[in-house]
Amino acid sequence: MKDITLRVARFDPEKDTEPHIESYTVRLHNGARILHALHAIHDTIDPTLAYRYCCGSGQCGSCAIRINGVPGLACMEEARTGILVEPLRLPVVRDLVVDLGPFFKDLASLVPKEGAVIPKKAEIESIKPLRSCIECMACISVCPAMDVTEFAGPTAMRQEMRLALDPRDGNDRIRESVGTGLFTCTSCQACWKACPKNIEIPGKAIEKLRALANREGLTLPRHTEVAALIRSTGRSVTRTEPTFMELMDKTEIEPVGELRAEVGFFVGCMYNMRLPKTALDAIEVLRRNGFRVIIPREQVCCGSPLIRTGQIEFIELLKRRNIEAFKFRGIDTVVTMCAGCGSTLKNDYKTPFTVMDISELLLKYGIEQPARLPVTATYHDPCHLLRGQGISEQPRTLIRQVVDLTEMPAWCCGSGGGVRSGIPEEAAALGEKRREEIQKTGAEVVISSCPFCEFHISEHTDKPVKNITTILAEGYREKDRKKALGEKPVS
Amino acid sequence: MRAVEVVDCHVLVIGSGGAGVRAAIEASGYGDTILISKTIAGKGGCTPMAEGGLNAVLREEDSCEIHFEDTMKGGAHLNDPELVRILVRDAPKRMDDLIRWGAVFDFTEKDEVAQRPFGGQRFPRTCYAGDRTGHEIMMTLMEQLRASSVSILQETTAIELLKDGNAIGGAIVLDRDGEMSVIKADSTIIATGGGSQIFDITTNSSSGTGDGYALGYRAGADLIDMEMVQFHPTGAVFPYDARGRLVTEAVRGEGGILTNTLGERFMKSYDPERMELSTRDVIARAIATEVLEGRGTDHNGVYLDVSHLPKEQIENRLPLMLEQFLKYGIDIRKQPMEVAPTAHHIMGGLRITPDCRTTLPGLFACGEATGGVHGGNRLGGNALADTQVFGKIAGAAAGNEPKRTIHIDEKLIESQRRRLGGFLKGTVNPADVSRQLKKAMWDGAGIFRNAADLEKTLNTANKLLFEKLHADSQRMVSECCTVQNMCTTALLVCRGAILRRESRGAHVRIDVQQTWNSLTTPYRHTYLSRTREGIEKVMPQ
Repeated sequence: MKDITLRVARFDPEKDTEPHIESYTVRLHNGARILHALHAIHDTIDPTLAYRYCCGSGQCGSCAIRINGVPGLACMEEARTGILVEPLRLPVVRDLVVDLGPFFKDLASLVPKEGAVIPKKAEIESIKPLRSCIECMACISVCPAMDVTEFAGPTAMRQEMRLALDPRDGNDRIRESVGTGLFTCTSCQACWKACPKNIEIPGKAIEKLRALANREGLTLPRHTEVAALIRSTGRSVTRTEPTFMELMDKTEIEPVGELRAEVGFFVGCMYNMRLPKTALDAIEVLRRNGFRVIIPREQVCCGSPLIRTGQIEFIELLKRRNIEAFKFRGIDTVVTMCAGCGSTLKNDYKTPFTVMDISELLLKYGIEQPARLPVTATYHDPCHLLRGQGISEQPRTLIRQVVDLTEMPAWCCGSGGGVRSGIPEEAAALGEKRREEIQKTGAEVVISSCPFCEFHISEHTDKPVKNITTILAEGYREKDRKKALGEKPVS
Repeated sequence: MRAVEVVDCHVLVIGSGGAGVRAAIEASGYGDTILISKTIAGKGGCTPMAEGGLNAVLREEDSCEIHFEDTMKGGAHLNDPELVRILVRDAPKRMDDLIRWGAVFDFTEKDEVAQRPFGGQRFPRTCYAGDRTGHEIMMTLMEQLRASSVSILQETTAIELLKDGNAIGGAIVLDRDGEMSVIKADSTIIATGGGSQIFDITTNSSSGTGDGYALGYRAGADLIDMEMVQFHPTGAVFPYDARGRLVTEAVRGEGGILTNTLGERFMKSYDPERMELSTRDVIARAIATEVLEGRGTDHNGVYLDVSHLPKEQIENRLPLMLEQFLKYGIDIRKQPMEVAPTAHHIMGGLRITPDCRTTLPGLFACGEATGGVHGGNRLGGNALADTQVFGKIAGAAAGNEPKRTIHIDEKLIESQRRRLGGFLKGTVNPADVSRQLKKAMWDGAGIFRNAADLEKTLNTANKLLFEKLHADSQRMVSECCTVQNMCTTALLVCRGAILRRESRGAHVRIDVQQTWNSLTTPYRHTYLSRTREGIEKVMPQ
């Protein structure tokens, strides 16, 4: 047995205007879950503590809460001392009990077709990954789109896809899902990561529904334009200034100083066409740290704008072209600086080479210490880096070598999943929420590691928004400047 | 006299497990139906937790006759033959309903519903969805319920049935804040599930507190065979707070083997023909005996091992088991599980006719809250079948009842108000009472019983029933009501166990010598009501 101290959010609607945190110490058996700690508090300290539970074994979803800010099931997560227990990020009724009623209404029901339809085993197998939902509403509680638009939510879309796959269902689920916000999803993947059953809603429901919508001619016109552009130019944006590829006249770039490793460089459409100077910063940082950088000129759009919007007709062509571009040159490690491209190459492609995000790569090899810059900064986690690639510490470690970092909560900027082009008001509304968070940090600079985030957030803050490699490059330039002046660099 | 809110309907369903929701869907075709659930509808009870499967005769090579015989034999011939006939006849039809409504059962390569072997059955007829069959059924039913006209009252607790003369006319209920109101109904269906939470070690969810038994009993209904408690042989033993959670029979159905600490497959000493796929009562007693005789683990359990099976089979057929055990640090693909008996299902309950009428006019019941379907021991897979077969019958029968005028007995309302008011002035922590009750029942009314311990436990339960339970505020009075229902259910179990002076099915009296078996026994049902109790004797030929 051991003593565990928990901090629990309490809220009494009759007395409180907002929740407050109470600390409780209880004696628990080894292996006790958070639910058992709540029972101990209720049974021995404060019987007024309100919380939900039924099965106690991870099957009913009643006890979904936030543990240190992250959704989980109280009956499955181990009770550890010091944790913060709060209700899901939904309207609170009392203490840990939230109002779930509205969300059950958004879940569609199967409408049996006339006549006896028996599914085939293959159809059953396709539905199964979408079927284990226990309606805990954790996904709903973390969905950014639902904060700012009319969206039925992740599990509602999961249910639509489950029905769309079922031959017994008689309704048009594609039109229904389009009508209840299918295209408002930014593909941030917060739903998947919050799901206690690990249901891959973005890839297995949202993207697949959008692909079915594409077959029905329901793709948003702005998205169809992007697909047409990729088909004709190999790029998802138009050329408005000299591209990175044009500015780099060589395919092979030698390092400054000793060679430590060779990498292929996948630039991505946005850095290539819209933010080429940032890509040049990345090359500068790579060269400075001993990398020979190979930039195959045949590389094209990674295809993410097509995959996320369900326009997958010629995606295999793009994949083959990109894989060949690096494989042909015998490259075994490809570095990406765009979080979206990196996530796509890692998760949607089967590459014969290793794909690494630039922050992964730089930390793996270690970098030359830059000079510190006298600014305060905050870091915006790109969704496709944080959740798409599981990378959150590496960018921070690199950033802290140059500037002081103040944290803000990780939340989608609103520009992913085709939302920036398809539903600009939604993207703007989410961008404004970033403005608030940035302001709260008091930071002078916003750093990120994704061109969509950088582009979008710069429209929603008055602070400069810089890529992580730009910050590192500035650190090196400052170091060189000081050295040239005979000053000792501040470290 | 303060006014209490009154709501009218044609059918009131109390309980939102497999039986309750099936009944409500059916009843909605006949008139205004209200379903109340003390949990969030569809989440409470054991149905969403059920893992193994639903028995139904689907194949040419199988027959209802074989299913009937398996069920009667498994039930120690205490079952009502007519109820069993209906169960086996209608289970395939209810499977058809579920399939039509979109249930995602596992299918075979031949595009038929897959079926696996299960305990005590001579044919593999247990339809399944991985090891989450109950969840699958609930998801399917909840979709249809939400699409129907049924009015769902979430987190609403029935505290007493509304008596109108001798008939039942609805129920007195509490909402989430403990505010009382009355629901009048031409027919009321009790579908509140079981009561195994009265035991210290149990598979049951928080709502398995015997509310339906207590509500029906207090209103004057007959209950039968309440002593028949199924101790599922394989409950997990670690961690302490999650002890008793179900390790599905499907683990044995897929080929899991039981061994003691000497490494012996001990079932060969108890049921060499069927081994791990014997009936639950036999295996529970076997494990309890192995432990009593010193061949059990430190946690008073034995080993259940599937590590000899291909890992893909475990990942596809037992994903929930894999996930749960991994959470607690055991990889069942490589290591054995430690298991021990755990209170799981009450075969007894409200006495019903073949159309689910109880002995009180206006009151119907279906599912685990009823008695007679499973006799002295329930076959795995028959409970889910029970919920669908009798849920539908109860819904239709209740729906078919004529409309009538129901009078509210103001004295009953007042007495409930006093009851709730008493809790606010009470002095005893309901959590302590619950804990004491569970421990007493586990020790004194468990797998091996004797008259002395049963009497002692009966007295304890009675004393606990009359404790002055304390509710901190109006919102918490329903907890006190629930604990009282647990005490009442415990009393019924003890009384039934004392009345049945024989060992039969799941009920063992070590203090009784008998010369008969379940076919030659002189006894049939035990029966309990507020006015009488006894045990039925077989009529001499």
